[in-house]
Amino acid sequence: MSHFIYRSKHEAISFRVTSNVPVALLVLLFGLGGLLLSSLSLGSYHLDLAQVWHTLISAQPGETATTVIWELRLPRFLAACLVGMMLGLSGAILQTVTRNPLADPSLVGVSQGASLAVVALIVLWPAAPLELRPLIGFMGAITAAGLVQWIAAGKSSSASLRFILVGVGISASISACTNAILTYGQVNQAAAALSWLAGSVHTASWGECLVLILGLLLCLPCLVWSIRPLTGLRFGPEVAIGLGVNQRRDRFLVIALAVALAALAVSMTGPLGFIGLIAAQLVHRVLRVGVGSHLLLTALVGGCLVALADLVGRTVFAPIQLPAGLVSAAIGAPVFIALIFRGTGPKQF
Amino acid sequence: MRLFSNPMQALPLILVLLILAVLLHLGFGAKQISLMTTLNAFINFDAQNFDHIVIRQMRIPRMITAISVGAALSVAGALMQGVTRNPLADPGLLALMSGAAFGVVIGASFFAIEADIWMPVLAAAGALAAAVLVALIVLLAPSGRSPAVLLLAGAAVTAFLSAFVSGINILNEESFSTFRVWLSGSITADAIQMLPYAAPWLVGGLVLALVSARQVTVLSMGHEAATGLGVNATALSIRLLICTVVLTAAAVAMVGPLGFVGLVVPHATRLLVGSDYRWIIPCSALVGALFLLLVDLAARIVMAPVEVATGVVTTLLGAPLFVLLVRRVL
Repeated sequence: MSHFIYRSKHEAISFRVTSNVPVALLVLLFGLGGLLLSSLSLGSYHLDLAQVWHTLISAQPGETATTVIWELRLPRFLAACLVGMMLGLSGAILQTVTRNPLADPSLVGVSQGASLAVVALIVLWPAAPLELRPLIGFMGAITAAGLVQWIAAGKSSSASLRFILVGVGISASISACTNAILTYGQVNQAAAALSWLAGSVHTASWGECLVLILGLLLCLPCLVWSIRPLTGLRFGPEVAIGLGVNQRRDRFLVIALAVALAALAVSMTGPLGFIGLIAAQLVHRVLRVGVGSHLLLTALVGGCLVALADLVGRTVFAPIQLPAGLVSAAIGAPVFIALIFRGTGPKQF
Repeated sequence: MRLFSNPMQALPLILVLLILAVLLHLGFGAKQISLMTTLNAFINFDAQNFDHIVIRQMRIPRMITAISVGAALSVAGALMQGVTRNPLADPGLLALMSGAAFGVVIGASFFAIEADIWMPVLAAAGALAAAVLVALIVLLAPSGRSPAVLLLAGAAVTAFLSAFVSGINILNEESFSTFRVWLSGSITADAIQMLPYAAPWLVGGLVLALVSARQVTVLSMGHEAATGLGVNATALSIRLLICTVVLTAAAVAMVGPLGFVGLVVPHATRLLVGSDYRWIIPCSALVGALFLLLVDLAARIVMAPVEVATGVVTTLLGAPLFVLLVRRVL
């Protein structure tokens, strides 16, 4: 396979890109562009492509089309994309670190931890500012992730399955607490929290987009840094140590990064199940590429998936809107089962 | 490990504890009622006495509900653990409960079937579908039959069905308000209205379980051993699956999904009576009744006057045990 290698002076920066990555990148960008156009034009207020283009180029304040595109559909699409990217990245990192094709933020307690924290915030303090949600969500998520890691640690023979099943158990207890809060909160706040819990981007505004963009920008340097330890860690702890990775520290930092990404996404739109799982596995099965390219492509696939799930959710049963989280769970669970069938990875089952 | 050398010795202990739990359950609550008043409510009922009314109208129905649901779920869990030879099996973890909830919610919101008599039927249909789905996944998976694959399949099917249930609840406000409390699993005095319709299922399932108890012991030694001992393992597995589905459906129809009861109770029972299913199944029913009585008592008292949903308490108690078992088994 042909590839391109870049080395800067003294090899401070060096990477290798196989030739199929740019092709995949192009395809995904086209897909994302297509989704953008269809998301902007489809809906209860139909706009044809010419109108969409016109509104995007020169928006006339006061026109219905301007409001629909700039205030409703564009932020919604952006939020869906960003959330998808974060969940995809989080899933890819978790799968690489734990060497487990079934790892996903919604399966290992991360999403549930963030959910509990955010639901508690919504019900107990409805007037809380939006910016507080990612922080609270992150604290919940990191607690849950730490708990799962701590309990699952130990014998290494079937560590990955232990990790997932301990995650299932911890998730169950966390969800029980969330349920308790939902049942005893006031009905209208509970209903708000419930629609948030189903994972929906329909309320997304520029405020959410801004938080997501800032968060992603903050995580970007960490992501670039994480490529190097991940490259070692994906071969297992022994090889990673041999390759000069500070295994304990880097493993912790990389997982914290994955948790932060998932917590940010979850705290804005609610838990969208299985996105990280599907996106990372899709890329992994189609292309065998290095960690950096894998992360980049997974992010784009994740973005496409959530944007698509949202588009499907709001158009298929129009005027009723199904939350993107339900669409993703309905698609994701069968994929998960298919993965069990394939029994991937280093002798998982 | 077990606490008594002879299962016979454990029985009196369980029965005494059960009677104590019943008395505590009747006496404590938002309002404490003395033992004499409780007994009087049975012997010479006074319609003017408020305490007697509380006992008769509120506490006794709850007690009966807790006992029947606890027995049903625990026996279902014990059967599942025996048949799958998996210490982590539980009607909730293997998606039977979300299947039952799915059946009830679908029936109520798409076909407008809301009569109480159909609830167990809908729940059974949903639970059966979910159980068959999980069983198919495990049988068809190349490396199936391992405890982990069974649980992962259960988790995936649960996620899939729960997505549909919450979707319906979002689209249908009426369904949300009807099922909100029920879906988190709660023992209430109203649940007794379902008892006449759930009772045939409950009794049928329990009798079938007790009759099959001998063969479950054989089956728990493995398919080959069971076949060698003259048991038709496949036919028995199917019969026990139906028994589990029936029991789960009856319990879910009454109080909604109560997670982890079927996991915790059989393990506790094994500590008392060992690994013979002729003892485990009847004792599980008793210990399950005891467990749910205490859980319901705790749910009423801990945060009084607010009641905690029973399902929340059972999950909070059961999930740590599940995690502990995962650590031991894997």
